[in-house]
Amino acid sequence: MSVFDYTTQPGFDLISETPNAGTTVDPKEVQLWFGPQHPGITGNMSVQLWLEGDTIKRGITHVGYLHRGFEKLMERRKFIQSFPIVCRMCVAEPDTTEYLLASSLEELSGLDQAVPEKGQWLRTLVMEMSRLQVTLMVMGGQVGTMGMGTAPNWTYTLRDFLLDSFEELTGGRVYHMYITYGGVRRDLTPGFAQRLEATLDRIEERLPYLDDLILNSAVFQQRTQGVSVVPAEWADELGITGPVLRAMGVARDTRRDYPYLKYPELDFKVCTATGSDIYARTQVRRAEIAESIHIIRQILQMMPQEGPYCAKLPNMLTWTIPAGSTYVRAESSRGEMGFVMVTDGSDTIRRVHLRGPSYTNAVTILERMLPGMNIADLSATMVSLQTCPPEIER
Amino acid sequence: MFDINHGNLDDSPDVGQEIVRRIHDRFGDFPARFQKADLVRLDVPQKDIIPVLSWLRTETPFVQLTHLTAVDWLEDGQFELMYLVTAPDLMVSLHLCVRLDRAKAEAESVFNLWLQAETYEQEINEMFGIHFPGSPRQGVPFILEGWRDMPPMRRDFDTVAYCDRTHPVRPGREHQDSRVYVGRKFGEKGYLK
Repeated sequence: MSVFDYTTQPGFDLISETPNAGTTVDPKEVQLWFGPQHPGITGNMSVQLWLEGDTIKRGITHVGYLHRGFEKLMERRKFIQSFPIVCRMCVAEPDTTEYLLASSLEELSGLDQAVPEKGQWLRTLVMEMSRLQVTLMVMGGQVGTMGMGTAPNWTYTLRDFLLDSFEELTGGRVYHMYITYGGVRRDLTPGFAQRLEATLDRIEERLPYLDDLILNSAVFQQRTQGVSVVPAEWADELGITGPVLRAMGVARDTRRDYPYLKYPELDFKVCTATGSDIYARTQVRRAEIAESIHIIRQILQMMPQEGPYCAKLPNMLTWTIPAGSTYVRAESSRGEMGFVMVTDGSDTIRRVHLRGPSYTNAVTILERMLPGMNIADLSATMVSLQTCPPEIER
Repeated sequence: MFDINHGNLDDSPDVGQEIVRRIHDRFGDFPARFQKADLVRLDVPQKDIIPVLSWLRTETPFVQLTHLTAVDWLEDGQFELMYLVTAPDLMVSLHLCVRLDRAKAEAESVFNLWLQAETYEQEINEMFGIHFPGSPRQGVPFILEGWRDMPPMRRDFDTVAYCDRTHPVRPGREHQDSRVYVGRKFGEKGYLK
């Protein structure tokens, strides 16, 4: 294996997280906890660092500050009661987990064929809106980690306009609980498409200015080009997906490779970049913003105006699903998210397991990238890997 | 990836059927279920799981470990490990499921095949109590720092009893069910009339 493995480092005991007995501690080495309370950390996690000067010698990711036992909770509840739980698995992007829950149980119960055409279009719409708003947030967060304040203000404002649309459509700005078994909960409100189109125009109009502030900025280029390069051979060894993979020049995207919902009917390209550094990952996200806008416009044009948006559902209090197991996946803004779903013929889930890209990005990849990294680049690296703690500890 | 004995998988019209046929030829006739175009489930005996995974990893395009998780089949006295391996270039995944004796919850590590397995195995070790000898982070807390109880994802772990034990009731109350106290104060319907 070509990947650096810090556990083989001499003189370091992983269990006690201390140097082995008899090992001389380097007097120049400083141990530092980066997070869980730190403006540069991505959510409720921490990275335990060993530093020499401002160079990181090694580090360990610690999660668990946000563990709420979602998977266990879902095993003890009726199927319909899981929606308020799954949306919390990734705070910024709840629609993907809602879709995964709905589609996995629909598949096991045979309800998947009953989802109406319009329900599928509306699901595709919110999934893509969700990808867009998170990508805007991450673009801003990326430059924010370098002390550049203007671009985050712009991207967060643009994201807020999209949250207005979510609020109008679903009733919630952050947690939507819009996708349900058999389709979605409600239809578009009158004039929604025009208002969303206006928001897309507003975002699109700002993109050249954001390019000047971010990708064309000499400061940003110096801080990101050639920094935190993810080696290409890690792609398959570590199961990398999403923008981190596409920044290596690998054109893989769950929406195209494992078609679901209405994506096969849409015209979109898989955005890639080369370099595999923070700059390349930002380039991919910038291109994906434009592509998401393009996709949403197509959806608004192609979606049927009339028709049911949700199938007739069984009684949710007595609904049982035959025994079986499956794996469903969808492309979130971070990469492939998937649900392993196991049912046993009862009215509750037997076992559900979320496979999220952060699981690999925040632990396996990050820990192997840390040795030799300058501490000033750590926040930017974590944002570029889009590490999302609730998705790791569920 | 080229399998010298059987030709290139990429040329096969149905990759799922073809890979299952080759696994059957090499390792035995395991039950297989073709769930959808990109997903095949195989139930593999415990003794065969590492040879099958090693072969898939080194000699076929199934190079990615997409996830590894466990299911507790308490009534059967077994755990089930579920390995999802994916051929990203062929866009097909295999769900390899293996049953373990619950009384001897131990399985071989796949850390040597996929480095990321260390975290999956660490979590399963913590949450289900399944031991993976040789995996680097066995016994190292991942999510549950300072946990002293039964592994909590086991089906016989009683969450209510754990809460009662761990979090004492507030003074003046006999138990944790807040509905009773809300009812006493606000009426049975739980709101002020």
